[in-house]
Amino acid sequence: MTCARKLKMLILAALLLARPTVWAQDAGADKGADGPAGAAALELSGHVRGIALGQRAAQAGPQAVANRLQPGTAETSPSVALLQSELRAGAPLPWENWRAQGITTLQTRQRSDGRGDITGWVNEGYATGSSFGWQWALGKKVVSWDVGYAFRPNDVVQQETRRALLPVTLSGRPVWMAEHFADDSAWALVWANPLQSRTADAPAEPALALRYYRRTGAVDWHVFARWGARTRASVGAAFAGVPSEELEVHASWRAFAHTDRIAGPSGPLLVAANPWQRELSGFGHQLLVGGTWTNARQFSLLAEAWWDGTAPSRDNWLAWRVRNAALSGLLAHGAPAFAVAGNLAWQMQGLGYDTSLQRANLFTRLSWKHEAWEPSLDMLYTPADRGRIVTAALAWQGDRVKLEGGLRAMFGPVDAIVRQLPVQRQGFVAVTWAF
Amino acid sequence: MRYVTHFLIAIYAAFVIPNAANGQDVQGLLRAADQYRVPSDNLEVETLVESHRADGSVDKRKRYIVFVQTGRKSLVLMQSPGEKGQKVLMLGDDFWLLMPSSQRPMRITPMQKLLGEASTGDIASMSWAGDYSGRLVGEEPCASDTMPVAAGGPTVCQRLSLQAARKGVTYQHIELWLSRDHHEPVRADLYVQSDKLAKQARFVMDRASAPTQVDEMVLIDHLGNDKQTIIRYLGRKQRTVPAEWLNPMFLSQNPALD
Repeated sequence: MTCARKLKMLILAALLLARPTVWAQDAGADKGADGPAGAAALELSGHVRGIALGQRAAQAGPQAVANRLQPGTAETSPSVALLQSELRAGAPLPWENWRAQGITTLQTRQRSDGRGDITGWVNEGYATGSSFGWQWALGKKVVSWDVGYAFRPNDVVQQETRRALLPVTLSGRPVWMAEHFADDSAWALVWANPLQSRTADAPAEPALALRYYRRTGAVDWHVFARWGARTRASVGAAFAGVPSEELEVHASWRAFAHTDRIAGPSGPLLVAANPWQRELSGFGHQLLVGGTWTNARQFSLLAEAWWDGTAPSRDNWLAWRVRNAALSGLLAHGAPAFAVAGNLAWQMQGLGYDTSLQRANLFTRLSWKHEAWEPSLDMLYTPADRGRIVTAALAWQGDRVKLEGGLRAMFGPVDAIVRQLPVQRQGFVAVTWAF
Repeated sequence: MRYVTHFLIAIYAAFVIPNAANGQDVQGLLRAADQYRVPSDNLEVETLVESHRADGSVDKRKRYIVFVQTGRKSLVLMQSPGEKGQKVLMLGDDFWLLMPSSQRPMRITPMQKLLGEASTGDIASMSWAGDYSGRLVGEEPCASDTMPVAAGGPTVCQRLSLQAARKGVTYQHIELWLSRDHHEPVRADLYVQSDKLAKQARFVMDRASAPTQVDEMVLIDHLGNDKQTIIRYLGRKQRTVPAEWLNPMFLSQNPALD
C-alpha cells in the first residue's frame, strides 16, 4: 500500500470518527436549555493529530561506533511523520449504573528512510459500574496513582512514559478493579494482568495492588501495597499538600523486594548471542520529593529530586564503559569488525532501562501561561556524571486546535550516560484538532 | 472604677455594636446578592465562557458543567473539544485537577485555580456570603467611567468593601456594588493577594427592572491585556450529585451525567 493511499485512508477514518460527534452535538443543541441532562447517551470525542519529529543520531557512543564499523548493525531512530486519530467513546450498558468506556488510536507513520506503516491499538476498553457500595471496572484501563510529575515510583499498576517530548494517551493494563469512596477516604484494589503468565516480565506481570487514600485538610495521604507474581512484595506511601496560596509540595517513597532489571554481561568480550538478560534485582527503594510554585502572573516552577533504586549503580555504569572501551580495543588485536560492531550494538541494551538512567536525579521545569500561549523550559540533571537533558517547548491552545513545537538536546561531559543515548537531538511540531 | 466601666461601655456602644450590625447587614446583603446566581444549595449549572479579542470578535468559546453543592463544594467538568475530560474539584479551600491524558487527580494551589481569562474560581465559585466579610461603604452611582450599567438598570448602588474570610477564595479583596432596591450584583472590582486589581466584573440580569437571576458576568482581565470574557449561565437546575463524585479519587471515573 502506498503512503499516499494510507494517508487517505487515515483521513477518511478520522472524518468517519468525527462525524458522530456532530450528530451528538446537534442532538444536544435541540435540547436547548435542558443542558447536560439532555446529553446524548453515546458520548464521543477525540482528536486528529499530525506530528513531524526530527531526530539526529549520536556521533559518539557504542551505537555510533558499531555503525561506523559495520553500517546498519544497530538500528537508528529516523525522523518520522505521524498522523494519529484518537476516538474516545462512552455508552450505557443494559445493566443499571453500568457503562462501557473506550479509547482507540489509529496511526500512520512515515519514516525518513522510506519505510512506513499503519497501526491501531486500544488504549482503554472496559466496563464500569457500581453495586454494593463499590465501584467496579473490568477490562483494559489506565490506572495512575502516584503524586509526582517526572518520576512516579508508586504508579505500581502501570508506569507512565515520563517527560515524553510529546505526551501521548496512555495504554491501560488489563485489570479487575474495585473502589470504595467515603467522604475523605477511598480504597482501591486492583488485580492487574490477571490472564498473563506468572513468569511474565514486570509490565505484564500478574499482580495485586492496593491503595488507601485519606484527605486531612490541605494534605492528601496515600498508602500503597503490591504483590507481583515474580517481583513479590512492595509497599509505598505518598503525600501531596498545599501549604500556601502559591506552593504545592509532594513526596513519594516505595520499597520493593525485587524488580526486573537488565543485567550486563560478565563473561568474554566477544559473544555470539545477546549477553544482556533480564533478571530480578534484590531489595531496594525509590524516593521522590518535589513541589510546584505558581504566581499570579502565571509563572510556574516545578522542581523534583529523586533516588531510583532500580536504576544502574555507579559501578554498573563503570563496568559498561570499561566493556565499551575494551570492545573497541579488540580491533587493534585483529578482532573481526563485524563481531566488535555486533557486540557494541548489544551494549545499547544497557541503556534500555524502563526507569531512570542514574539513581540520583534532579528535574526543574519553568513555564509561563499567557493567554493561549505556554512556553516551557525543563532540564533533567544527573549529578553522578553531570549529564543534562534540556527541553524547550512552545504550545498554543485554541478552541479546537492546538499547536506545539519543541526541541530536546543532551548535554554534559562526553562520557555522561545521556551523551551515549542513540538520539542526541530531537525537534518536533504537532497540530491537534479536537472534536 | 465605675467611670472606667462606663467609659468601656460607651466605647463598645459607639464602635463595636454598629460594626457588628454592619457586619450582619453585609452578610444579609451578600446572601441576597448570592440568590441571583445560586438560588439553591445544590445546583447543576451549564456555563458558556466566551473570550473576546480587542475588536470584540469571539476568540474562544468554552462550555462547562458545574455542580455547586452545599458545604462550598463544586465539581467542574470541561465540555469543549479542546478540554474534554478535564475536571476540577473544589472542596472548601482545597482543589484538584484531572487531565484526561494522565487519569491522575493532582492537587493544585489556589493560584493555579486562578489561571486563565475566566479562572476556574470564576466559574465554580458563585457565592460571597460566608467567604467574605467586610463593611458597607455607602451609596454611590452604580456606573463608573470604565464600567457602564445596562440601559434600564439601577442607578444607585450600595458599595461593599469585602475581605476574604477564608484562604482558598479566588480573590482576596472585592469592591462590590449591589443595587439599592433589589440588592442584585451590578459590578465588582476583584483583587488578588498582592492587592493588584486582577479583574473587573459587570453583571447582566435577566430583567433590568425586576431582576430574578444573573444571566451573564462580563470580566475585564487587568492582569492580562484587558481582554473581555463573558460567562453566560445557560441553564440552572437543582441537582444533588452522589457523595462519591466529590471525592478527589473519583475524578478518574467517567460517570454518566444523566
